Amino acid sequence: MRLEPDTGDVAFRLRAREWLAENVPRERPPHEGRPSRDHATAWLARCHKAGWSGLAWPEAHGGQGLSPERLLIWYEEYVRARAPSALDCTFVALNHAGPTLIACGTEAQKSFHLPRILEGRSIWCQGFSEPGAGSDLASLRTFGRIEGDHLVVNGQKIWSSYADIADYQELLIRTEPGSRRHKGLSWVICDMNLPGITVRPIRNMAGVSHFAEVFYDNVRIPLSCVVGAVNDGWSVAMTTLAFERRTAAIALQLELSVKIEDVIALAGAVKGSATAERLADLRAEAAALRAMTYRTLLRPPATPFDGSLMRLVFAELAQRIHQAAIDILGPDALVNGPWTHDYLESYSETIAGGTAEIQRNIIAERILGLPREATG
Amino acid sequence: MTFDLTLSEDQRQILDAAHAMLETNYPVERFRDGRAAAPGTALAEFGAFTLALPEEDGGAGFTIVEEALLHEAIGRHLAGPFSLASPLAVRMALMAGETGLAASIAAGRTAVCAGVDTAHGALLLEPKGAAHAVIVSDEGIRMTALDGIELVTETPMGHGQPLGRARLPSPGGTDERFPVLVPLASLLVSAQLLGVARGALELAVSYAGVREQFGRRIGSFQAIKHHCANMATGIEMLSAQRDMAAIALRDRRPDAAFQIAALARLAPRIAVLNARLCIQIHGGIGFSAEADAHLYLKHAHVLAALVPASDLLSLPAPLAPTGKE
Repeated sequence: MRLEPDTGDVAFRLRAREWLAENVPRERPPHEGRPSRDHATAWLARCHKAGWSGLAWPEAHGGQGLSPERLLIWYEEYVRARAPSALDCTFVALNHAGPTLIACGTEAQKSFHLPRILEGRSIWCQGFSEPGAGSDLASLRTFGRIEGDHLVVNGQKIWSSYADIADYQELLIRTEPGSRRHKGLSWVICDMNLPGITVRPIRNMAGVSHFAEVFYDNVRIPLSCVVGAVNDGWSVAMTTLAFERRTAAIALQLELSVKIEDVIALAGAVKGSATAERLADLRAEAAALRAMTYRTLLRPPATPFDGSLMRLVFAELAQRIHQAAIDILGPDALVNGPWTHDYLESYSETIAGGTAEIQRNIIAERILGLPREATG
Repeated sequence: MTFDLTLSEDQRQILDAAHAMLETNYPVERFRDGRAAAPGTALAEFGAFTLALPEEDGGAGFTIVEEALLHEAIGRHLAGPFSLASPLAVRMALMAGETGLAASIAAGRTAVCAGVDTAHGALLLEPKGAAHAVIVSDEGIRMTALDGIELVTETPMGHGQPLGRARLPSPGGTDERFPVLVPLASLLVSAQLLGVARGALELAVSYAGVREQFGRRIGSFQAIKHHCANMATGIEMLSAQRDMAAIALRDRRPDAAFQIAALARLAPRIAVLNARLCIQIHGGIGFSAEADAHLYLKHAHVLAALVPASDLLSLPAPLAPTGKE
């Protein structure tokens, strides 16, 4: 077990730090709509031009193919420099759609989409959840009927972040009539400008609209947009889970180490108070989350489900750090400042991407081996 | 790779051997079947007290990273606070130039107990037969000979592990307090608390997998699952932080004090929480002294009392922001 940066690692850290200090935008990114897209794509384009995009992607596909230690170093410097949150409208493309295409896409799909993603020219959204398929994703019902060389899609998706400003959607739909659960699904590249698609933004509890409902009314998608085999969409969707869990969330996890420092600064002199005890606990947990982040990248997982441990610790710590900030602010938290906004946004952490309850079930059943619950 | 958190072949072998030795000599059932208190000599013969000492000092030449891994295994078997006091005592004896005493403690011929200062004298944990006590206090760690010291027997928490109270001579200057050993003591006691937390989870999971109510194994109920999941996440946090802190301390990294203080902050809380949940999952039998669940709780409290005080908020954070708000 060792964490010994060599001279190359040290030089890399300095290079990253210097570039970030000069290039990180000073203003807070807009929360929604076209301005949020313009801000995010401008930042990604700037990163790309300097060789800082697709860091975890293989070099053969236009990425930087960085080693785990370099990824950690980059993202540590990234969060310390207060660079824009990685969870902006470029997140799905860089961390989910792109890696899925790399793993399962055709040459045509890869050569068309990957450069656009890396350069910030195309934005992707996810189309997985449905009104009746949230935690129970495999019960999804949006259906694509095969007609010649097209799929004709009807149905509805929901909680699709940035669907209103996205160019493409990774759409998981049922394509085999009468199929159940994980069988008979397909993973499809859906062009968001196709006729028959209606996007209705949903205002979230923080007062902004960055997610949406999407309705499909006889939307004709070429079969050439299916990624992987038709009716094999579940395994395509699972392919990139490992990538997502290992690399996508690094920045978000490490960012909490900076957030807690900001909350400690916000609190000012607290020595000997209950607030000091609370902040010390949060600081220790943020340190542990960073240690878990290192472990995730630098040691093979004991089980394929270890990501759920990380996800759960991260989500609940993110919420508690923001709750502490709100308590420290007192009545001033009623004004919709950055802390208040982020506090309200943090309520999504234990819901999106698998609720905390589902993560606990996965940990108990898949990691600890407790008996499965009877399903209906 | 310049960064690597996988266990080396050496580390794996040490842990395999340690588990076999602990399973033979310190099975947790020993508390229940009326067996005599486990002898300290098995741990000494294993070399547990000198694992990280250089070979010229009679050690095995490993590092405190291996020692921290070993102490998780020791904690998992509830070996008792002597197992923590002894490797610290060997180091203090060596630093004081008492090589004969160091060798005698290392070989298990001289028994050492652990203790803490209180307002009413020192509390000594399992002091029977100990010739020396290693006392953890806010100022540092010191070793005191118990020869001629009057020991008042106290009734221990839940009639558990024996406890004595003694008026010990006041420590002298810093050369008798060994502040240099405080971070190491924090690391090892935290590693033992991690072992206790893990033992409590394993016991809870195995019970939840066999106990039936309402015609089903109780582990199939979400309420039980979520308790177990919470225990597992605590262990993951603690073990990752243990590795981070051990490496930082071994390599004398600038963030070592921070990493150790964060670890020491987490360890008692997680160990006590896991022990509590283990009792709860057992239901009625968990409240009895006939199941093992209560042992984890009591050991967690004993070890928690031995965690040196630290002020995490006063230490510089390794990921302090560089950018302007």
